[in-house]
Amino acid sequence: MIAEDLALLREGLVALLRENQIEVVAQVQDAPALLRAIAGHEPDLAIVDVRLPPTFSDEGLQAAIEARRRQPALGVLVLSQYVETAYASELIGEDTAGIGYLLKERVGDVRAFIDALHSVAAGGTVLDRQVVAELLAPRDGAGQALSGLTARERDVLALMAEGRSNTAIAESLVVTPGAVEKHITNIFAKLDLPACSDDHRRVLAVLAYLRVSR
Amino acid sequence: MGERARLPVDLSLAQGASSRRWMPALAAGLSIGEYARSLVRRLAFLSAILVAAIWALGGQGYFWPAWAWLGLGDLVLLDFAAGWAWRHPPGAVRRVACVWAVVGVAAVILVFTWLLTWLLAGVHTFWPAWALFGLASAGSAYSLIALHDRVLVAYGRRALRARIDTLTRTRRQAVDAQAAELRRIERDLHDGAQARLVALTLQLGRAELRVQDQPEIRGLILDAQREAHHAIAELRDLARGIVPPLLADRGLVAAVQSLAARYGLGTSIEVDTHRGLAPAVESAAYFVIAEALTNTAKHAGAGRSWVVLRDEHRTLAVLVGDDGCGGADPLGSGLAGLRARVEALDGSLRVESPDTGGTVLDVRLPCG
Repeated sequence: MIAEDLALLREGLVALLRENQIEVVAQVQDAPALLRAIAGHEPDLAIVDVRLPPTFSDEGLQAAIEARRRQPALGVLVLSQYVETAYASELIGEDTAGIGYLLKERVGDVRAFIDALHSVAAGGTVLDRQVVAELLAPRDGAGQALSGLTARERDVLALMAEGRSNTAIAESLVVTPGAVEKHITNIFAKLDLPACSDDHRRVLAVLAYLRVSR
Repeated sequence: MGERARLPVDLSLAQGASSRRWMPALAAGLSIGEYARSLVRRLAFLSAILVAAIWALGGQGYFWPAWAWLGLGDLVLLDFAAGWAWRHPPGAVRRVACVWAVVGVAAVILVFTWLLTWLLAGVHTFWPAWALFGLASAGSAYSLIALHDRVLVAYGRRALRARIDTLTRTRRQAVDAQAAELRRIERDLHDGAQARLVALTLQLGRAELRVQDQPEIRGLILDAQREAHHAIAELRDLARGIVPPLLADRGLVAAVQSLAARYGLGTSIEVDTHRGLAPAVESAAYFVIAEALTNTAKHAGAGRSWVVLRDEHRTLAVLVGDDGCGGADPLGSGLAGLRARVEALDGSLRVESPDTGGTVLDVRLPCG
């Protein structure tokens, strides 16, 4: 289901999803309608614009958080015109399962966008690479620990934070999955994080580290 | 004369409350002049009783003491008029008061003299009329000449003050209107051009999927999509420069927290403000803090930085400081731009950045 107040974009999204064999059960234009539709249709995933009527501030985000509170199994992908780390942190809260936060223009890369949708619907985590870049920006505290990483390890860390799987990271960096695993082991050792194999628990650990050290 | 008649009696009670009331100078310690004046009043009163007594003892008849009373009364009147005139501030005003005191005394003397001629000698025409008219005209003419510049200056000052009030009000309205207009533009960019460009990249993405087998067309579409992405990024930067989305959505405190987190300076933020801020004030405070933190991050090499937002009377105090190397140029272009922005709101901006280290930017923004 989709909550987006601009008809042009909403219809484009609906067409895009239908072409990719994703059923759109409801399209709404504001936050209260979103909550009603979610209760009525129980979708796998809601795509929500951060800014929705009537105040056009962040009620889309608030509605997404509220929807997650009512139905913890619901996947939520929030689309935003801007990258705000604060919004991402609020959305993620304590549980990264089934959460996505992407810049709106990422819909242009159709395959990656559809992959992200499937990933979030399946309980994965997708974070926009700009959010991750801001989280990884050099600074005091965490900056010192992060600067201990090699350039390649930083790339891998960024991709992990975006919610990519080992295979996807390997593809993206054009290396073997074995090499990725080695990098990940190094990162976890250098940052003193508990090792875990589960993708989404791994994202949680990485994000928790990045947020706590902020 | 009834009340005044009690004067000499009260004067003997030098320390009493009533003496202080009637002769404040006596209670405070008399000057020679004051003492002479009180003496004149006492003598006048005693003389008045004395002539009345002589008249009563001397077989009465024609009430001649009235003329003596008139003369004595004139003395006392002159004394009070002079005292009244002297209470005015020195200069033109005191001179005018003196003229009016003389005019007043002369008028009272004339009227009383006429009263006596009417009562005692049976003169029925009001003979002092022309003299009174002349005195009043002369007093008025002198006042006008002596005070004309003062009147003009007072009028000019009033007009100036009204003009300043109008300008202050209209400038504030203009600044508020501008801030509101900028937010509207930002919203329009978001809902208009940016959204259309996003929709465009989406359609291009759908088109690109359909021409997988035609690499030339696919390349063109990807180029177009890249251009659209650049345009979106530029619009985003433009909108962020107008008013950062977090500021518009969540207000100053949230925006400043995000700003501090972005610079990663470990900035401590102390907020003690509960008022609703006008968009213009909010934006000014935000950009002041943003500029200060940028400078801190770029130049100061600081270990610690802090932001304080505080209500002080009717102003918002914004303090941004660090313990870096100091030596910031208060006339630098960044600070000059901030100063213009703050002063447009009738605020003030002060920079303390000694070469010995540490920089504090102190901004006060009136909030109506």
